[in-house]
Amino acid sequence: MILIIDTTGNEDMINEIESGLNGRNDYEIIRAKDMKIGHCIGCNYCWLKDPGICSVKDDHETILKKMILSDQIWLVSGTTLGFITPLAKNIIDRIIPLATMNLKFKGKQMRHELRYKSYQFGLIYDGEADKAFMEHWSDRVAINFGSRTKGAFKREEIKEAVSCMC
Amino acid sequence: MHVLIINGSPRVQKYSNTDKIISALKEGMEQYDPGITTELYSISDRKQWDDAREAFVRNDEILIALPLFVECIPGLLLEFLSTLPPKDGHTRMSFVLQSGFAEASQLRCGEKYLKTLPGRLGCIYKGTLIKGDNFSIRLVPDDMKKKITAPYVQMGKVYAEHKGFDCEEARKFAGPEYFNAPMRLILRSIFATFGRIMFRKTARSWGCDKPLNYRPYPASR
Ligand SMILES: Cc1cc2nc3c(=O)[nH]c(=O)nc-3n(C[C@H](O)[C@H](O)[C@H](O)COP(=O)(O)O)c2cc1C
Repeated sequence: MILIIDTTGNEDMINEIESGLNGRNDYEIIRAKDMKIGHCIGCNYCWLKDPGICSVKDDHETILKKMILSDQIWLVSGTTLGFITPLAKNIIDRIIPLATMNLKFKGKQMRHELRYKSYQFGLIYDGEADKAFMEHWSDRVAINFGSRTKGAFKREEIKEAVSCMC
Repeated sequence: MHVLIINGSPRVQKYSNTDKIISALKEGMEQYDPGITTELYSISDRKQWDDAREAFVRNDEILIALPLFVECIPGLLLEFLSTLPPKDGHTRMSFVLQSGFAEASQLRCGEKYLKTLPGRLGCIYKGTLIKGDNFSIRLVPDDMKKKITAPYVQMGKVYAEHKGFDCEEARKFAGPEYFNAPMRLILRSIFATFGRIMFRKTARSWGCDKPLNYRPYPASR
């Protein structure tokens, strides 16, 4: 299952992605732009008080539940100060219930043990940013999901991104 | 010198590790030069945003201290920064980037981003002080907090001397990029035994009655 989280509300972009995926039934698109999504408050409850559950009660829970059921997560974002938008970053900051407090080494680096399983990760962005940095960051996010990145793609590269959704 | 310090953590000031690190840095700055003054704003409190923004406009010595949040800056800090009017290129901006994981390599992606940020805000980049292994500050008693943050006092002096962290002493502070193989072996066995027990104990003291790897949501349809 491929989960596409759109934070832009740009229906043209979503249409482009959907037409690339034409006829497939193994994907779902979440329109997050107008959802009520706050930021991580760093309470650590999702690790140490109520494992796996975010204490901030809003629409993010729907996203989290769908992430758990997916194999591949794609984030679609605009850009802010050369990075993804605050909304998109808040959604990613709040993935930490998908990991546990317990530590391990993955290769040469420390990581948290995953609560469920691993997920592949990809990024599609629309706006000014350094592509090499966006790719680097996507790869780091993917490492937290127990995988490697599918890549970071500019809006003009949507076709290429969709061809990686396999 | 007057320094504007911004705590970019979304965690309330009382529990914020960054806040304890800032205290140690300030102590060092004052030791270096008792004439140094500072003002501090915490992004976790939205009521401070207007004052922080106004201070950003007024000051030309700015230090932003922040926790690493999923490999880069926290979404909330990004939101605050996106509301700032760009400056005219005379303001020095430095960063303290601190994290949970201990190795310096964990912070490099965030550092890469911070290097580009002052330019986007019309400021001059004056370096990033990097350090991991700060997760437990909030969990330990006050005297231990002081012990863990003590090395930052020296870095406060370094900041005051160099008007930033663009120097060798600050770069060295990051520690090893990776732990070597024997160290990883030791840590691995600590994580699997003592680490688990300690985390479990903390959780119980927080009122947690479930295993830490509990799965509250269905993992398949
Ligand atoms: C949502 C979230 C994401 C985090 N991501 C990372 C990370 O990617 N790497 C890391 O080493 N530590 C990470 N941490 C740990 C924090 O950087 C660390 O605990 C820090 O000391 C918190 O400082 P504060 O109390 O001022 O917020 C994360 C913590 C939270 C709550």
